[in-house]
Formats: sequence, structure tokens, C-alpha cells
Amino acid sequence: MLRAIYRLAWKDVMGDFRHRSTFSSMLFFSLAVLLVFQAAFEPDHQEAQRLVPGLLWSTVLFTTIMGLGRVFQSEEENGAFEGLLLAPLPRGALFFGKWLGNLVLSLLVMGMLVPLTLILFNVNIWSHVPMLMFLLFLGTMGLTALGVLLAAMTQTARSRETLLALLLLPLVAPLLIAGVQAMAEVIANGNLNGPWLNLLLIFDAIYLALAPWGFGWLVEE
Amino acid sequence: MTQLRAVDIAHRFGRRVVLRSVTLNCVAGECAVLYGANGSGKSTLLSLLATRLRIQQGHCHIDDLDIKIHGEAARKRTLFIGHHSHLYGHLSPLENLIFFRDIYQLDVGREELIEAIAKVGLAPFIHQPVRWFSAGMKKRLSLARILAGRPAVLLLDEPYSALDHEGVRWLNGVIDTFQKQGGLVVLASHDPERVAALNHTPWRLDGGVLQPVGETQ
Repeated sequence: MLRAIYRLAWKDVMGDFRHRSTFSSMLFFSLAVLLVFQAAFEPDHQEAQRLVPGLLWSTVLFTTIMGLGRVFQSEEENGAFEGLLLAPLPRGALFFGKWLGNLVLSLLVMGMLVPLTLILFNVNIWSHVPMLMFLLFLGTMGLTALGVLLAAMTQTARSRETLLALLLLPLVAPLLIAGVQAMAEVIANGNLNGPWLNLLLIFDAIYLALAPWGFGWLVEE
Repeated sequence: MTQLRAVDIAHRFGRRVVLRSVTLNCVAGECAVLYGANGSGKSTLLSLLATRLRIQQGHCHIDDLDIKIHGEAARKRTLFIGHHSHLYGHLSPLENLIFFRDIYQLDVGREELIEAIAKVGLAPFIHQPVRWFSAGMKKRLSLARILAGRPAVLLLDEPYSALDHEGVRWLNGVIDTFQKQGGLVVLASHDPERVAALNHTPWRLDGGVLQPVGETQ
């Protein structure tokens, strides 16, 4: 089953690199958002440190929504999604395959986002970068888990990207708050452990447990 | 020996009744061909047997497996090739078959997949993206899954569409070999001429009722 999950994710990542579609769009979009924030706030050193968590997570959210809007696009061609449903796999495995593909693309963008933010806002917290990356990794796991479920739910809707954002934003708000607060703690005190990290882990566990089940229920006819 | 038993299957979409008390029994080596006009329910019946649609009434067993309860296990023994090719345009034929092998969790080597592609006449295009293939080439590639997958039960919905004469002859040869090796085929078609070369049991679906062709004539 792990081979099937890997292959499903590989197919999505490979397709994206060949089309240069989602990854490049996400990257350029996130860069544009950061540039706009930088131009709008022009923060000094102290202010920048305070703003970075919020700016990073906002950019992550917008960028992830953009990627999620396309997560089932490749399955529309030649009835491919039906082909997946005919495979002798638990529906949860299909979910994890789609999720993993989206997670890899999102994480590649996040990997570039953190250094870009620190350079653009001239914030010298390079020693905290591994912790910031770890927090973004955790946040993106939960965000994409819920996002892939909602993308499956809205894939047949006409204005699916709007609908996806409308559904996703209120549901991931707790996770985003936990992420922002945990990151602020890291930047201020260099301390990763704390209640916000625990909350982030709890939301990840909830989304990753419920989303595959919801996906299975959703795709049954 | 593989056996398929569908008993008292009924299905409706909203208020429209598509199938009424359909019973179909097939054994290994048999090819049941479903004839019927457009909208007669052939594709619906195949989708039910493939577990793509949930059975609303009646029950169906593949060997001792109730497909309503053991859908995943039933899908492991079944290959359904329908109107859609289920291919990914950005992948090459070989990558598409590797993808198929892995999501069907088949124990088939890369060489066997290459051989299957060669047998459907697509060897010269083995590394080209499927996106640029004609409908006939896509059909051939989707049918290459029969060779790669070696299922126990083969469900084919209008398999001759988009195939040229050579392709039809090739497909009939594949089905014939498959039957001789103990495979079970259920095939929906509206074209008796193309099916004629097969050793088959004809059935007709009309008004949601399935009957052996001999009884309707």
C-alpha cells in the first residue's frame, strides 16, 4: 500500500514539474505577497521580528490555497479519478497519496519562503531557521490534510477555488493561530516547546485522522 | 475456478429505474456479452460489478466474496476498462503502466510492462507523453493493462470503440487467450459483428431486464 501512496504522490509531483504549473505559480505568488507586505509595511528591525510570524503564515495560507485548487486537476483528464476509485486500495490510501503529493510541493515552496522572508525583511534570526521550518512543516501537514479533503469536496463546483477558500479559512483558523504563536515564541525566546506547539500537533493529529475518513465517505457513490 | 454470481440486481438513478432484478452467472473461461441499446443499463451493470457504483438491491459474488462487503478484495480480482482510458497525459505509456501496477499492487516487472506495450503496438512511443496520442492509441494502451494486470475477471465496456480493424482482431485475440487461460469476461457492446469472432454467451438488456439472447428471439 505504501508503494501505491508513493506512486500517487510521485505522479502528482512529476506532473507538476513537467507542466511547471503549481510549484512555480505557488513560488511566484508567495514572492509577490512578501514583496507587497514589505513595500506596504517597510518595518524596522524590531517591527520586522514581530511581524514575521504573521506574514509567513499568511503567505503560507494563500500559497497553499493556490496549490490546493489544482490538486484534483490531473484527475479530471481521461476519467483518471474513476480509475483511482477502481483500484484495490482503501480510500484512505488514495487520500494519503494525493495529500503527500501536495505536501511535497508545498514544502518545497516553504523551504524557499523562510530564507526569502528573512532576506526581504532583513531579520537576523538565521539560527532559528530549522525551528521555523519545523513549525511550517507541522502547520503545512495539517493545512494540506484538511485542504485536500475540501478540494475533493469542491472539485465539481463551478467556482471551486472560492468555495475552497471559504470552507478552509474558518476550519484552519485554530491551526494558524497555534502556528503564529509558536513561531512568535521561537523568534522571541528561541523556545520551541510550549502549549502552542502542542496545540499545533493536536490539530495535525485531528485533521490527519478525520480527513482520510471524510474522503472515503465523500467518494463513495 | 473463478465464478461471478449477480443475483436480483436492481438499480435506479433518482426516480429512473435502470436495472430490474438482473441475474447473471458466469464461470471461468466464459465471455458474457451484454447487448442493448444506448441507455439500456449495460454500463451501469458493469459499474456495479466493478464496485464503482454501490449495489442498491440484490447481491453479487466473485467467488466467495460479496463485492458489496469486500469491495477492495473484489477490485483486486477485477479489471474494468470503460469509456475513459484512465490515463495520465503527462506520463508516458511505460510510466502509466508503472502507475497502474503500483496502485493495483501487482507483482509485475518493468520488462513485462515493456512487453505489454510492445504487444499493443506502442513500442515506438514508449517514452512519449500520452497526451499526444490518438483515441485509438489511448485505447490500445488502456487495454495493455489486461496483459500487465492478469485479472481473474475482466469487465469491458464498449472495448472496440476507437479501434481499427487490426486493433479489433488483436483485442479478440487477447480476450480469446484470456478465456483459454481461465479468465472470466463480461463485455458490453452494441456491435455483434465485432464480437462474433469470440466464443461468447450473448445476453440482451432491454428495459432494465437481462435475458439470454436465445430466450428473447
